[in-house]
Amino acid sequence: MSPFFQAEKSTSETDMPIPTSISNRLEINIEQMKELFSFKVNKDFSYRSFVIHFNKKQATIFYYSSIVNGDKINETILKPLLEEDGRDLSNIITIENLLVLNDYKQIIKHINSGKAVLFVDGDSSVYSLDVADFQHRVITKAENESVIKGPQDAFTESLNVNLSLIRKQMHDRQLISEGMQVGVRSKSEINLLYVKDLVNEEILNNVKKRIEDISVDSIRNVELLEQYLEERPYSIVPTILYTERPDKATAYLEDGFIVILMDTSSACLIVPVTFWSFFHSPEDNYLRYLYGNFSRMIRLLCFYLTTMISATYVAISNFHSEMIPPDLLLAITASREYVPFPLIFEVLIMEIAFEIIREAGIRIPNPLGPTIGIVGALILGQAAVEANIISPIIVIIAALSGLSSFAISDININFTVRLTKFIFILAAGLFGMLALIGVFLLWFMYLASIKSFGVSFFAPLSPHFKSANDTFFRKAIKKQIFRPGQIKPQDMTKRPKDSN
Amino acid sequence: MRKKNIFLICIFIMVFPSGCNDRQELEQQSYVVAIGVDKAEEEDKYDFTYQIANPEVGSSSSQGGTNEPPSEIVTITGNDVLTATYTANAFVSKKITLDHTKVIIVSEELARDENFLRVLQAAARTPQIRRGVELIVSKEKAREFIQLNKPVTETRPHKYFLSILNRVTRSGLSPNSELHRFFQITEGDADLFLSTYASAIPSEEGEGNEDEYLAGQIPKLGGSPTQFMGAAVFKEGIMIDTLNGHETRLVNILDPTMDIENFITTFKDPIEPKFRVSIGYSQDKDPNISITYNKDKPSLIEVTVDFKAEVIAIPSLVDYSQNPDYQKRLINQIISELEEQTNKLIEKSQKEYGTDPFYWSLFVRKHFLDVKAYEKADWNKVIYPNAKIKVRYNLQNLEFGKMLNDTSLEEVRD
Amino acid sequence: MLNNGSLKTREIVAILSLFLGMKLADSTPSLLAQKSQNGFWLVPILSFFILLPSFLLIMYLLKKYKDKNLIELMEAILGKWFGKALGLLFFTFVFLSLSLDSRNYVEQIKILYFPESPTKVIFFIFIGIAFFGAKKGIEVIGYTSWIAFPLIKFSVTLVFLLIFGKIIIQRIFPIFGSGIDILMLEGLQKASIFSEIFIILIAYTATKETKKFRHGVYLGSIFAFLEIILFYFIYTTVFDYNSIQKVAFPFHDITQYIQFGEFFTNIETIFMVFWLFAAYLRFIIFLYLITMIFGAIFEIKKFEPLLLPFSFLSIMIGLLPLNSISNELFLRETLFMIMSPFLILLPVLLWIVALSKGELRS
Repeated sequence: MSPFFQAEKSTSETDMPIPTSISNRLEINIEQMKELFSFKVNKDFSYRSFVIHFNKKQATIFYYSSIVNGDKINETILKPLLEEDGRDLSNIITIENLLVLNDYKQIIKHINSGKAVLFVDGDSSVYSLDVADFQHRVITKAENESVIKGPQDAFTESLNVNLSLIRKQMHDRQLISEGMQVGVRSKSEINLLYVKDLVNEEILNNVKKRIEDISVDSIRNVELLEQYLEERPYSIVPTILYTERPDKATAYLEDGFIVILMDTSSACLIVPVTFWSFFHSPEDNYLRYLYGNFSRMIRLLCFYLTTMISATYVAISNFHSEMIPPDLLLAITASREYVPFPLIFEVLIMEIAFEIIREAGIRIPNPLGPTIGIVGALILGQAAVEANIISPIIVIIAALSGLSSFAISDININFTVRLTKFIFILAAGLFGMLALIGVFLLWFMYLASIKSFGVSFFAPLSPHFKSANDTFFRKAIKKQIFRPGQIKPQDMTKRPKDSN
Repeated sequence: MRKKNIFLICIFIMVFPSGCNDRQELEQQSYVVAIGVDKAEEEDKYDFTYQIANPEVGSSSSQGGTNEPPSEIVTITGNDVLTATYTANAFVSKKITLDHTKVIIVSEELARDENFLRVLQAAARTPQIRRGVELIVSKEKAREFIQLNKPVTETRPHKYFLSILNRVTRSGLSPNSELHRFFQITEGDADLFLSTYASAIPSEEGEGNEDEYLAGQIPKLGGSPTQFMGAAVFKEGIMIDTLNGHETRLVNILDPTMDIENFITTFKDPIEPKFRVSIGYSQDKDPNISITYNKDKPSLIEVTVDFKAEVIAIPSLVDYSQNPDYQKRLINQIISELEEQTNKLIEKSQKEYGTDPFYWSLFVRKHFLDVKAYEKADWNKVIYPNAKIKVRYNLQNLEFGKMLNDTSLEEVRD
Repeated sequence: MLNNGSLKTREIVAILSLFLGMKLADSTPSLLAQKSQNGFWLVPILSFFILLPSFLLIMYLLKKYKDKNLIELMEAILGKWFGKALGLLFFTFVFLSLSLDSRNYVEQIKILYFPESPTKVIFFIFIGIAFFGAKKGIEVIGYTSWIAFPLIKFSVTLVFLLIFGKIIIQRIFPIFGSGIDILMLEGLQKASIFSEIFIILIAYTATKETKKFRHGVYLGSIFAFLEIILFYFIYTTVFDYNSIQKVAFPFHDITQYIQFGEFFTNIETIFMVFWLFAAYLRFIIFLYLITMIFGAIFEIKKFEPLLLPFSFLSIMIGLLPLNSISNELFLRETLFMIMSPFLILLPVLLWIVALSKGELRS
């Protein structure tokens, strides 16, 4: 028997059952509360007993000292109760959010989410007072999805702050922030944001149902939630958009998409998605028409370069050398004369080396970062060429494919693209263009067959839907009249009805 | 799911080794730039000469054999181009690849042989040799030509062939002699095919004006010994004659399927006949050819060539630019000289060759409904040799360059 | 895999013009040129107009009998068993043309780009990829075709632009090639080069409204027809009448010949990429439709599992001919000649029976 097993058993034995009803007598309640929250060992579980000034009754307030605002308790609860006169409790306590609870389950939930709970002698109802003050970072610049032109703030690990960032941009009474709970042991709050008169009910219900169907002890943050929500956990393609930018989230809300927020993540999830959601950057719309589309074009090229350039190089030089212009061909041949590996091996070495630099670069402690990066990239490449392990042209190819992968800012699709690259390289090494094109076609068809919450991945390009046709390129802002038709929003046009 | 994966892995393993069949590392191949074909001593065998580019010469790669020659030249006797490459592998260490061949050089001796078409057809059968490859006839043996051909500034042979062929065809001194054209004309069996004529051995220096030479005859000092000038004339796949540079130019002017940009040539000075005037000839439009086909009597072929001329130099210092009368005489001189030379060439083709080098058979075709009738009418035996041909040159404008007038010599010496 | 009817006119246009339009880039032109020489570009025009009345007739019947695909229509008119028997005959023709066509494509790939690999391996890869693609279902095929359509047509346009300078218009004369009588006969015998427009009718119910499908088929076939004529015209003008007979794969010969400026001389691999893309798509469509026909005849609703045996079978049959020349010049030609009267007469037969049954009046 493993000690783990035994330990688990023993805790479940000492775990006391949750009392069903709240007693009239305060002493009993206090005892039960202490028991429930293991008062003796649980350091930050606190309570304070006092006599209420206006009715001279004994009262006790319970809370986790680590997640409440002490000043607030003092100012808005204790002080009024100890000093003020009034008719009843709710008129004396000046706190903005007061709820009456009736059973212990709710009490536990409230205390865990940072509320203070007030027991009064001779009263079987309990008051929950919102004094929560979870610690979180301040709002910082978006670091992973940076833009030059556009708002710079990013979500932070606080639901209220994140909501405020979104509501700041969207003043619409139809913008609903619906709360849901997930998790059995640790109940976490999930917020679904949507615009009530835009969102497609079917998709909304689908999302709600999937959240309800999750039965797990706890889900800590949206990054984990994402994996519980998606349809195909083994797929190479993501089906949920993950972003840290409030402006991006708001833009999607305006189009009728659903945004999922949690208290613990500095990012949100957006459903449903298409390929284009991963391809676009919010900056495309902030930049003027021509500039935005130019940057799209470059990004499209980057998509091609990242996935295909190494594979194309392998296919062409191993199987179709006739198509390289003679001067280039001779140059490549000359540089390969002393290289001891087959070409595909060379390409794989460099691509993997690049991935190593990248992975290490993320994990490296901040102060060391830049130095190691340069050492890794430059010295490694240079030295490898000098030592005749690889030919210089491979460095160019690998650097090009690595560099262009950074233009794809979404982390999910970035991984898709990088993994695909290796599939393509292997295919190209196997049978040149024949296999490469075949595998590319299958990959493409796989993408076309993917559905995210019932929406095809390449919609609205194909299958076609009425929309702003914001796919490879976007229209001028004034011409973007329609919302994306593939999610079937309740209101298709972005113009007021009477003006049409 | 799992079964599927195993199935996929099995296919992968099955296929992987066979994929290696066509996989060829770049440095394990030798790239042939030029192929030379000669008659071998044995009957029905040929000497194939391959000029193989050396990748290490001229590339900026830091290591390696700068002392090596820019190309390796090997000659091997064999039946056809492809089999010979495999035999050559007995002493060439890498697989010989013909994909990058730019030219096929054939010795005049072989070109005049009736087996020539066989060799060339065998070459065209392999997908490695493209239709854009140029055919060159060399006066000497092709092997000698390749060996002697030592370009001075372009070290890489493929670059050299590319640029020189480009220049000679643009200036009209040699025809465009792609294999594609060779086969279209030879299989069409109506017209004459012209191929670039070249030589690397200077022969007796020829006499005449600036373009009336054959390759090898150009008097010159310095530079590469190789000369590309004039054309070899092929009738039904066998070489029958050569045309000098001047005649080739005329053919290029008259053939609507050839692109000729511009060239500079000289004409007799009509005022002071001991001098010659340099004229820049340029032609924007294809010549207009109209054929009136008569079944029983000789057909009528009318050709109109619109061209422009620019006076480049007037050694006689005659004032052509400002004297309209002189101008008229100059224009007449240019046109009559061109027409006279053209008529001479046409007469030669009608009498000697029996058919035309201008690809004019294209224009008689529309008089026939089907191939049978067309072949029965017989362009190269009946229609062309008996046709009445009128060529008219039409000068559209005459320019005088950037100088209005030349300084009179008398004034300077005074 | 399920058909939710999200295909629209544009997807049908893309599917059909890829399915049929590939005929411009395989060895069909050299097959036609064998007898008609430089007049061969007129043969498809004749064939198309010979086939057109029959085609319009069957479209009319499909419209009348609402929401039935080709096989169901045959059964509805001719009775269950006779309909099935004719359907099976049709299936045999189509399946044979799949096998022979695929061999033909594999040989092209082998001869031009993979001379040293065994035909078998290329065949397995080619059909294998077509199989996995076909498994994704008609909707995904439609989406993919539509997205790939502009790219493929762009590459074809590029070929056209680059070869334009080498065209010698006068080569189309003598206008009727080897003679007008031969052309007419060829046009009649080879009418089934457009058999694809009949095969696609099996997917008649793939769109939500059949009207969209009909529009798609009309547009797609006209587009492919014009494209084929244009390219056959180019082949005639680039190759002379004697040479065109000798060229086995004119499209590839042209792509090998053209160059893009002086530096990019051997650019055929670029076009080979798009050609391969189109070829894969064509066989994905082909395989899927064939299985669909089989499924319709034997009333198998979930016919996708049949894709695997059919792919395998097509490889086996495709490998039977000894070489590509006999495959092309003898077997494919014979198949065309047998299939043409069938395709011309079938709609007429259906129409007469339907008319005599009096079902058309309602």
